[in-house]
Parts: sequence; C-alpha cells; structure tokens
Amino acid sequence: MKEKRKMTAKEKNEAIWAYAFVAPTIIGLIVLNFYPAINTFWQSFFKTGDFGKGNTFVGLANYQKAFADPEIWQSLINTIKYAIIEVPLGVVIALILAVFLNRKLKGTSLFRTIFFLPMVCAPAAVAMVWKWLYNQQFGLFNNILHTNVAWISDPKIAWISVGIIGVWSIIGYNMVLFISGLQEIPGDYYEAAEIDGATGIRQFFDITVPLLSPTTFFIVQTRVIGALTIFDLMFMVMDKTNTALTKVESAVYVFYKYTFDQGNKGYGAAIVMILVVFIMIVTVIMQRAEKKFVFYN
Amino acid sequence: MKFKKVCALFLCAAMIGSLAACGSSGSSAPAETQAAGETEAAGEAAAPAGDASGTLTINIWDANQQAGIQEICDDWTALGNPKVQVEVINWDNYWTLLEAGASGGELADVFWMHSDYAQIYMENDILLDLTDYIAKDGIDMSIYYPDIAAIYTRSDGKIFALPKDHDTIALLYNKALFDEAGVEYPTNDWTYEDMYEAAKAITENTPDDTYGYALNTSNDQDGWYNYIYSYGGNVVNTEKTDTAIDGPEAKAAMEMVRKMLTVATPQAVVAESGTDSLFQSGKVGMITQGSWMINSFYTAENHADYAWAEIPYCDRNGDGQCQPEERQTCYNGLGWAAAANTDMPDAAASLIEYLCSEEAQVKQAELGVTMAGIPGISEAFANAFEGMDVSAFTQVETDGTLYARPGTRNSGVWQTPMKQAGGFLDAWQAPDDPEAMSAACDRVAQMIRDAIAAE
Repeated sequence: MKEKRKMTAKEKNEAIWAYAFVAPTIIGLIVLNFYPAINTFWQSFFKTGDFGKGNTFVGLANYQKAFADPEIWQSLINTIKYAIIEVPLGVVIALILAVFLNRKLKGTSLFRTIFFLPMVCAPAAVAMVWKWLYNQQFGLFNNILHTNVAWISDPKIAWISVGIIGVWSIIGYNMVLFISGLQEIPGDYYEAAEIDGATGIRQFFDITVPLLSPTTFFIVQTRVIGALTIFDLMFMVMDKTNTALTKVESAVYVFYKYTFDQGNKGYGAAIVMILVVFIMIVTVIMQRAEKKFVFYN
Repeated sequence: MKFKKVCALFLCAAMIGSLAACGSSGSSAPAETQAAGETEAAGEAAAPAGDASGTLTINIWDANQQAGIQEICDDWTALGNPKVQVEVINWDNYWTLLEAGASGGELADVFWMHSDYAQIYMENDILLDLTDYIAKDGIDMSIYYPDIAAIYTRSDGKIFALPKDHDTIALLYNKALFDEAGVEYPTNDWTYEDMYEAAKAITENTPDDTYGYALNTSNDQDGWYNYIYSYGGNVVNTEKTDTAIDGPEAKAAMEMVRKMLTVATPQAVVAESGTDSLFQSGKVGMITQGSWMINSFYTAENHADYAWAEIPYCDRNGDGQCQPEERQTCYNGLGWAAAANTDMPDAAASLIEYLCSEEAQVKQAELGVTMAGIPGISEAFANAFEGMDVSAFTQVETDGTLYARPGTRNSGVWQTPMKQAGGFLDAWQAPDDPEAMSAACDRVAQMIRDAIAAE
C-alpha cells in the first residue's frame, strides 16, 4: 500500500470524531505539560523578575553558574544514590512478594491489599510517620532496638534511611504490576518443568525471570525516572537545619529551594533542564539495554 | 514492544512535564491550577475571591489565631458588612501559594503580610493601595508602632497594609526540671551568664537526654538574634546596606551562644524534634519563644509547669543593672493587606481599617490572639491567659528595647542558607570550638553582603 489515496467521506468523518475524542487529553497535555516545559526551558535563559514580570535575558549564565556549583553536582549524586536504593530493592522485594502472592493461598487478596496500602496513603503523611519512626530521641526504631542512631541526621546513613521509605512506598505498586505480568505466563511451562524435575528455584530463574522481563523492564524504567525526580521525601522528612541535608537533598529539592525559597526562577529552571537532560540520557541507555536483556516471546 | 517503548517515553514526558509545571508559576494558566491544587493539599477549600454571595476570604498562616480573628470579623459583619471566611494555610505553603496567586491572578481578598516579603509585594503592585482610604477615613498612622508601619509603607509613601499586631520574645521555663535539678527559677534580672549557669546545672543534674536549654539555628528572631542585639551588634543595619554580624559585639554574642550550646541539647536532636516538642516533652529546661506561640504552650498537657520570664540581658557596662539598651527583643508585626485585584476593594479596605482600629485590636489582645499593632493597649493581653502569667511579653517594652526584625529586600536569599551547612550550622555542630563560631560569623556576613549587593 505505497500509493496515497484520498479518504472517503466516511473515513473523514471517523477521523474528525477521533480527533474530537482525543482532544481533551491533548489539550490538557499541551496546557499543563508541554507549554510549561517549553516555558521552563525559555526561563532558564533569564534572570527572572518578581512575579514573572521584568525578566532579563542572561544567555547561558544560569547554566554556567549551575555547572560551577558543587551543590548541584552533589544533589545529582544524592539523587542517583537514592535511585540505587529505591529501584533495585523496590523491584526485587516486589517480585518475590508477587511470586508468593500469585499462588492459590488463603487470604492472598488480604495480603495484596496490605502490600498495596502504602500507595493509597498521601506521600506527605507517609513521610511524617516515618520521620517520627526515625526520630533519634522519641522514635519507635531506637526505642525497640535500644539504640541511639541518628537515622536521618547522620550524613552516612540518612540517605539510606530516606531510600528505605521510598522502597516501602513503592513495593505495593511494583508488586501489582508483577502479579499481572505473572498471570500472563502460561502454566504449561511450569508443568513441563516440574515433569522434568526442576525445583521451584530453578523454575523461578529459568521461567519466571525471563518471561517476566518485559514487565521488569517497564517497572525499572518508570521507577528510575520516578526516583530521579524524587522530592517530597527529603522535603518532608528533613528539617532545613538538618546536618545531613546536603548529603541527601535531591536535584528537585535544590530546584525547589532556588525557585521558591529564593525566588530565583531562572536558575531553578536551569537546574531542572540539566536534570531533564540527565534523565533523557539515562532513558536512552535503558532503551539500548532493553534490546539486550529483555525477552519477548 | 513498540507499545512498551511508547509507554515509557510517554511517562518520561509526563514526569518531566509535571516538574516543569512547578517551574513556571510565572505563566498564568498553570499557576492557577497549581494554586488550586495546593490549596486542596493543605486541606482548605479556597473560595474564589469575592464570590457572588459577597463573602470576603481571608488567608492567614497561624491556626492558633483563626478562632479569634473569625470572631472579630464577625463583629464587622454584624455592622452590616459582608460575611468573612478565615482560612489557614501553613507558613511554607502560604508564600508559595500567595506568589502563585500573585502571578496568576487569584488571591484571597484580605491576607497577612510579613516583613520578609512586604517590599517585593508592594513594589509589584500586588497589594491594594490603601493610601486614599486612609486619607478619606481619617486613619491616624502615628498611633501604630513606627517600625511596623514603616514595613508596609513603600518608598514613595504609599501604604499597602495596616499594622495588625506586634510580638516580643520571652524566656519560657519548665518549673519541674528546675525543681528536679535544684536550680532557682529565672527572674527578670537574669543576664545571659545567669542563664548559662542555670542551663549547665540542669544539664548536669538531670538524666542524660535532658538539657537545660535548647536552641536551633532556625530560632533566629526568637533566639540568637537577641543575643547579638543585646551585646550591641546587628544582623542588618537600619539602612539595610550592611551587616555587623562579623563585628566584635556580634562575635562576643555568638561566643556566648557557643558557650550556651556546650550545655544545650545537641543540634542533631534539635533539628529532628524541634525545640518546642523537646520542651513540651520535658527534655529541655528553657527555651526562648515569641508571643505568637503562647497558646500552644498554654494548651499543652503540662502547662501548669510552664512559666515565662523576661528575656535575659547582657550587662555591657558592668553596673549590675539592666539599662533598656542592654535587654533587646526582636519585634515584628504583621500587616493586614488586600489584593489589588479583589472584586470588593471598598469592603476589603473597610475590613482592614476595622481590624486595625483600636477597638478591634483591644479585643484581639483580650482574646489572647496577639498583642496589638498600637502601643499601650496590649495590657489586656497579659491577662488573657488565665493561670499563666505572660506579662514578660508586655513588661519588656518598658524594661528593654524593641528592635525591628532585620531583613533586606529579598531576605530569603540569605536567611535560610545562613542557618544551614556553610552558615552557622557547622559551628552549631561543634560547640567546643570558638574558632568555628567566629569563622561562621565571617561567612554569614559575606552571605548577607553578597545578597545585598545582588538586590
């Protein structure tokens, strides 16, 4: 079907309706996502005035300042460290739970609900509860363990503590995706493997893991992006005078600080653009990796 | 396979987009959406400014004051004026929301203004110009605290807010811990040295996790600023052109702070729990606090153990007595401002004039909401808390000196960083090292000067 042909009246009519139906979403995306994205890019070349008035063009000055600012690099490192905790742990634990909860057991739906509950809670509320669990003087952890650990104030461990909250929050969501992926794997494979004498662990690594790789890839990719844009946990859990803050604050946290605390929107926009480019590079690398590691049948 | 790829890219775009949406509150459409979203997040349904039913919306950030202010507003409504709805949005969200509203157009009709932000809002004509209303209704601006009235007067003489209140700082102590350690209660004759001795004794004679005193870098207005001014230094000079925080007086004051910190709750603990929580948990013997916080201690579980004394002084001339300039308390006052684009400017101005009238401010003091923006009518405030003597807040006006909260045009640029790592926080971590504190003073002075130069 190489040659172009004109649409029939019926097809035209259908096309018009199709556009009409997608229009609300497209308009929403343009107004709420694309326009602000372009606007942010545009702003990153300006020294912004108060309340969006009186912007002055400064060229690449914001970017030069950002590249020379150790705080920005540190925040990128912090963000990556967070992702290194949240993504692998969130995926592995969720996968194990999903395999167990995919069996015919009594009360599976109850357990599924329990593991999914963190997704239903407001992130701010989750962070507040964890903040008090971690509290050095009055926190539950130190009281139960009879320790005196500064979970969120010691720069050496604070990033891990924050990462654990992220893992806890996301396990349920990942698990549900894994369960749906598991249910697509035909039972015959397992039956055949059993007849051949494969153990449960062997079945897991030779059948479940490869056949689940598309789902795993999807989760990893979306979670990496989600983890690199983390903000609320650091913002809610860490006080501004927390010593560990410089070793935990994420790139978006620094963006927020400059944009809203200090009213320097141009610089904030430049920070976000750097983060966007970084995320795009990571995404491209992952897309390449997909061809190598992901198994589609 | 294609589908997954498209899916991933699409999500990627959506996430980046949602980031950007935060960044562009300079543009009208997203800013409005954001404002609406955040108000809901704060648990307050924002009514549109001046809606059809003729209700005025008020935004404030202090939940402690909501009931009292609503009552005073209802008095105004009873005079045949529109209804008033008071909504609380916490401090951090308040300014994000107000800025989004100012950029996008949707603001509450009447709201609080603060010295940290007033100048930027006035310069950009976000606030309703009250000058003509004041002239027409014959409001005498000289009755208010001059420093507070000055905050809300633009350089061209136009007035954008009327003084709502003023606040002072006092010393709050827990009698139970003083008894336990066998230390005498604070008096109004205490110097900072006396306070140190008491803090030391409590820290030594109580369990390991209990301390005589707690201070965080973020306790500026209610904490270490007052040391600096009592010792004769300043944070920002009155012309707002320079700082003396690296001068010998301020350094002597911060040296005193450092000494206090050696017997005070460690910074890491304070940053996690906050001085107020630590105090209310009986883990800290003394803190300094502002008059706007009285209610939260008055209604606390162990309030019978709590008492207030005047903020200590520094005996600079060594005569053993307190001269007014030796006892300094930071004071600040909020302003009642209206949105320039409100649908009911006349009603908004009238409400502001009412709220700032002597009658309403006396009532405000009587209800224990806050002290007045007019000097000499806050006596009722001292008696507003039955069973708790809060006269230390009013007494200081005769025994000491009130200095305006130091600020520059865009104070946010230095006020938060100076409290963090790279500012005073490093010295707070290592209170045994006098050099660290002195070096921190030099760094903070540089921050403030850089910020002023950039304004």
